[in-house]
Amino acid sequence: MTPFEMVEPTSLKEAVSLLDPQEPTIRPVAGGTALMLMMKAGVFQPTRLVCLHKIEPEHARIAVVDGGALRIGAMATLSQLEHDANVAKHQPVLARAMRTLSNVRVRNVARVGGALAHGDPHMDLPPVLTALGARISISGPKQNREMLLEELYSGYYETVLEKNELITAVTVPPLSGRKAAYVKVTSRTADDWPSLGVAVSFALKDGTIRDPMVVVSAATEKVTRMRTAEQTLQGAAPDDATLRRAGDAAAEEVESLSDAHGSAPYKRELLRVYLRRAVRQALDENA
Amino acid sequence: MNARAINFTLNGEPVSTAIEPHRNLVELLQRFDLFGARESCGQGLCGCCTVLVDGKAVSGCLYFAVWVDGKSVTTVEALDADGQLSPVQQAFIDAGAFQCGYCTPGFILMSHQLLKEHPNPSDDDIRHYLSGNLCRCAAYPEIIEAVKMAAKATA
Repeated sequence: MTPFEMVEPTSLKEAVSLLDPQEPTIRPVAGGTALMLMMKAGVFQPTRLVCLHKIEPEHARIAVVDGGALRIGAMATLSQLEHDANVAKHQPVLARAMRTLSNVRVRNVARVGGALAHGDPHMDLPPVLTALGARISISGPKQNREMLLEELYSGYYETVLEKNELITAVTVPPLSGRKAAYVKVTSRTADDWPSLGVAVSFALKDGTIRDPMVVVSAATEKVTRMRTAEQTLQGAAPDDATLRRAGDAAAEEVESLSDAHGSAPYKRELLRVYLRRAVRQALDENA
Repeated sequence: MNARAINFTLNGEPVSTAIEPHRNLVELLQRFDLFGARESCGQGLCGCCTVLVDGKAVSGCLYFAVWVDGKSVTTVEALDADGQLSPVQQAFIDAGAFQCGYCTPGFILMSHQLLKEHPNPSDDDIRHYLSGNLCRCAAYPEIIEAVKMAAKATA
């Protein structure tokens, strides 16, 4: 890694002021596990890193708010999500997703806010939280704003955040009986980055699927909803024929990318199969 | 350039040094002649660089050295500091849980963490917890056996 300056603000306001909307070599760092990979590869050579550790305690809490919504501070570690009793109770799919996310050491250090802001389509939290309808809170120099996580991603490693904005929290609405699951496929080793991630959530009414969310990651340039697959599931009973149609619809609409984890056609076929498995898993695990 | 003064506890002893922000924790430990944590894959995947910071396992290769300021750092070298191998170390020897030994310090520190969280781990617990540690000699069956032996020895 090349030399740089590291500053350690003690308040959110100070952190934002140390960032620069025009300067791509200045970036915030939370756990640093993803950023350091970029720095070691030489694709990111910072002049300044704004370390967020000294403002951590007030932004690392996980709490239940507003009638069952889960508010997760952006500086919470992935290990906190994995072991938190409220996460297990209110959003078990999130806790389950942690078990296969990288490894114990990375989860001990990586932060929720970093995992969302990094914009890496191979990460697990963005698709899961998108399918759960999560909203993010953002702090900037002039004002704070909120948006659906779904609206954050604009391209490969790209988000709509300004360079001097920070995600401060993510709020996950209560499941209210909705079913949810996340499945991912790794093509080399069990704990490798995935070839495909599929997150689903839906309500069941009178034996039919209502308001489904189908979210794909890793195979695509960014976290992407599969609208045609969702329309196929909407109002249908989750039988084999429906799931096959939905898998086919997703395979048809997905714009998959080739990379070291698999070719575009391979990932398309994975999606055809794994969408069905994701819906079945959601039905099983929340029965 | 721009080295920063840091103070931390290293294997129980308070220490001070100065280090640049772009150095990682493995590089810092080498300055203290501690070579148990090795940077191998450099990507947090293999576990050879495992170090405990405030009692939690981290990948030393993906952890900025300056971040240990004010914290407590434990390396594999602390485990036999009293002249006695830890139960995990002894179990690795008894089970023959290594060949070349390069990955062993990482496996041993992770196994200590594993046994703290799961005093009586199942095979699945062990496989899952150690999935982020790679042994290129593939001594995995013996490693799992060693963890179970250590669990028994400390029960």
